[in-house]
Amino acid sequence: MYRYDAVDRLIVEERVAQFRDQTERYLAGLIDEDAFKPLRLQNGLYIQRYAPMLRVAIPYGVLSSTQLRALAEIARRYDRGYGHFTTRQNIQFNWVKVEEVPDILADLAKVSMHAIQTSGSCVRNVTTDVFAGVASDEIVDPRPYCEIMRQWSTLHPEFAHLPRKFKVAFNGAREDRAATAVHDLAFDLYKDEAGEVRLIVKVGGGQGRTPRLASIIKRDLHWSELLTYSEAVLRAYNRLGRRDNIFKARIKIQVEALGAEAFGALVDEEWAQLRGGPNTLTQEALDRVRVHFIDPPLEAWAEPATRTLPLDANFRAWKSRNVTAHQNADYAAITISLKREGIAPGDATAEEMDFIADLADRYSFGEARVSYHQNLVLPYVARADLPALYAELDARNLARANIKLASDIICCPGGDFCSLANAKSIPLSAAIADKLAPIEQDLGAIAINVSGCINACAHHHVGHIGVLGVEKAGEDWYQILLGGRPDAGGRLGVLLGKSVRQEDVPGLIDRLARHYLAVRQEGESFIAAVERTGVDPFRAALEAQEVAA
Amino acid sequence: MSLILELDATGPRIAGEQAERPAPTPAKPANAGHGDVRKKIVPVVKPPAGPSATAWEGGVYLSMQQWRDGAEQGGAILLQPADDVRALADRLDSAALIAVDFHRIGDGRGYSHAFMLRERLNYRGRLRALGAVTADQLFALARVGFDSFALRADQSAETALAALNTFSVPYQGAPVAGANAAREEANFNARIRLLERALTAIAADATRPALASSLSAEDMVITDAIARLKLPIDVFTLDTGRLHAETLALIPEIKSRYGLDIDVHRPDENAVSAYISAHGADGFYEGLAQRKLCCTIRKVAPLNRALEGRSAWITGQRRDQAATRGALEEAERDEVRGMGKFNPLAAWSWGDVLAYAARFDVPMNALYARGYVSIGCEPCTKAVRPGEDPRNGRWWWENKDSKECGLHTNATVTR
Repeated sequence: MYRYDAVDRLIVEERVAQFRDQTERYLAGLIDEDAFKPLRLQNGLYIQRYAPMLRVAIPYGVLSSTQLRALAEIARRYDRGYGHFTTRQNIQFNWVKVEEVPDILADLAKVSMHAIQTSGSCVRNVTTDVFAGVASDEIVDPRPYCEIMRQWSTLHPEFAHLPRKFKVAFNGAREDRAATAVHDLAFDLYKDEAGEVRLIVKVGGGQGRTPRLASIIKRDLHWSELLTYSEAVLRAYNRLGRRDNIFKARIKIQVEALGAEAFGALVDEEWAQLRGGPNTLTQEALDRVRVHFIDPPLEAWAEPATRTLPLDANFRAWKSRNVTAHQNADYAAITISLKREGIAPGDATAEEMDFIADLADRYSFGEARVSYHQNLVLPYVARADLPALYAELDARNLARANIKLASDIICCPGGDFCSLANAKSIPLSAAIADKLAPIEQDLGAIAINVSGCINACAHHHVGHIGVLGVEKAGEDWYQILLGGRPDAGGRLGVLLGKSVRQEDVPGLIDRLARHYLAVRQEGESFIAAVERTGVDPFRAALEAQEVAA
Repeated sequence: MSLILELDATGPRIAGEQAERPAPTPAKPANAGHGDVRKKIVPVVKPPAGPSATAWEGGVYLSMQQWRDGAEQGGAILLQPADDVRALADRLDSAALIAVDFHRIGDGRGYSHAFMLRERLNYRGRLRALGAVTADQLFALARVGFDSFALRADQSAETALAALNTFSVPYQGAPVAGANAAREEANFNARIRLLERALTAIAADATRPALASSLSAEDMVITDAIARLKLPIDVFTLDTGRLHAETLALIPEIKSRYGLDIDVHRPDENAVSAYISAHGADGFYEGLAQRKLCCTIRKVAPLNRALEGRSAWITGQRRDQAATRGALEEAERDEVRGMGKFNPLAAWSWGDVLAYAARFDVPMNALYARGYVSIGCEPCTKAVRPGEDPRNGRWWWENKDSKECGLHTNATVTR
């Protein structure tokens, strides 16, 4: 894990002091509401429907047990005893007080954390593969590049007032677990024939009201040019991106208007001036960061023979669903599902965070991760420890064996919290999970994403099944999309028809699921079946249902 | 546009007039939330009606087009957000001033204008930000190359000047991308700022805080920082009666160099006499118990007296000084004495201490030049060879784990 040096520490401490002063001046009436807004946003502070919300950065989703305990303490002391983990690997506290936020930020600084640039029109928290550094299909460990990007983009003086928000993601594995296709700027890391790390650069992905997949503008960027090229992209966007309409201000609109090739040429023209300049990464700079990400001392501890394991069916289900292969065959990365019955997806209480921090210390070298799917991961678990770890998780309602299954729903806070939401998302997610429960195991892997509005915080455009909250005459209505995926270059879901009432959504999704079960071929997943047959047979299955009803 | 700040070689100065500012109305923190804001969102951003300013000190601003049509010697240009500043290449020699118009705080194009002017067009003249320019943007504006700021009418000069010092080290460029030496230089500067911040916070929060100085290099560094920042932190030392003349010579030197009077605390004479009769003047060589008793009489008891009535004390301990100090924290709770204990140099290396002493010309104990590294009482201190464990120069006849005098007990806990 990255450990702060004096530079990191000082910048975060001075940032806390700056925001404390700004908050005091705001409360004294010396900064007006409009001028305070970008200041608080770039420190993670939103004003939601009922209360202010603080979004804390968890850079590329990596947490130490000490940091997780600090988050638990913040939930207890300043909030209502819980936090919400997000698709961008952050955590949100939904009930903070504006005047207490400087104290929260000071507490975060003590454990090398911050809320810098977690919102506002700036470069946001960098995200990546939750299994970075441990995934068995990894080509290049993205974490050092993420950390370098975090430092360079933090408090960059030129790019703090972009046309709109700007999200950066890295992927270094064969399977893209970072949803790079829907990021403003994304990098796929690979090794060239000489073994040198190079990057495929993609720009202009994003969701919201104008969903677009990112376009490749560079295929062979040398790692040392990561920052100079990023600077060229950001300058092209900062200077020339649209600022006349906030709905058209993301870089995806600029890229689409110019065409990816012309946008790439614009970037190249600027990059030609920056290549080899002071932001060119030296080998020493890369190595300096990379030493923080070497593996903990993993011991060669083989898993006990299968017949000595408890023959508990629940344990086996958990092991097949929640345990991910590791680069070291004696280890595994395990996923702790935060998709429990009766609990909002991605929520964890302070006590659960403390408990998971304790497990991280005892089973995972003190490290935990936050996933795109709003779950927590322990990345370094000895296979020999799996039964004991399972038993401990199970005793605390944290061993639900549903990773990638129908109840592992990505869900935004929705109308229960968010001041932009058209409809509620949390109760609907619960109803969908309930309805599909009888066929969940048979269905296998399926990604269901429920967003309460067009802003698509739950990534409904790239869910295998996406649900979008709309409003009709003051009531919650929903649209259903099919066939999206965030990986494999990305695909946007197709709208299946007119919006429907909340109570009809679970039944319609059940119908889609059952249609899949009827038409699937041997070993074919839900999304593979949709891609083979196209969306139309599924749409027809819904319409047949309506006629029957 | 009523108040202009300018940056010059000597630092920032106020170059314009201060206007009357309206009295502030305290804000109501929006802890109740904003409710449903969907209908309040207006996506279209209104274009500005015209330039935010028409004139500067030397006349009327020219637009970029007017400047290109016929530049006047000594004139000033006012750039708008949508201008492509590259069109000014090779046409800036005669400009007395370039101003960049910020119509909204959130419109960041002007920052890129400044970058292009400074880095691409090599413009070295005065570069002014005007319009929606508030104190809270000043630091970033200065970093991209602005050196003149026409503040919005409601802004205070004091706040704006303070804002220019918000951050001490940058992330971008060499500290992130460059060789280790560049990062280490930034780190050294950061460590000094962290020391200054820690001392300032202690001075503000604690009751009668004090530095317990052994007159070591570390304590001289902290003394220097206290004196430079003029902080209300006492400095005292414990004259055990067995110190080197070279050590004691620092007391008058601190007085002449910093004007600081160091409180000197001495051991209880009766206790010293009793020790000498029982164990002899140098009885500490005979065993650990005798040595610890001597330390207690000559150092620990005077320290306890010196700390009475204080809520915090400061030490110059560093983690890599001794095996016993590896887990040292910067802020601890001294449970034995019931007060805060701060070790602001905990993360410093010996090299950092020497570099600081060189940068600020800090007076140093002459014994360092003779191979002494860790300096205590004269009979219990000797020089060490280069590269040898510094702690070998203290109580060298004892086991490594016992080498503390008792000032720094293990009964401290991390805060």
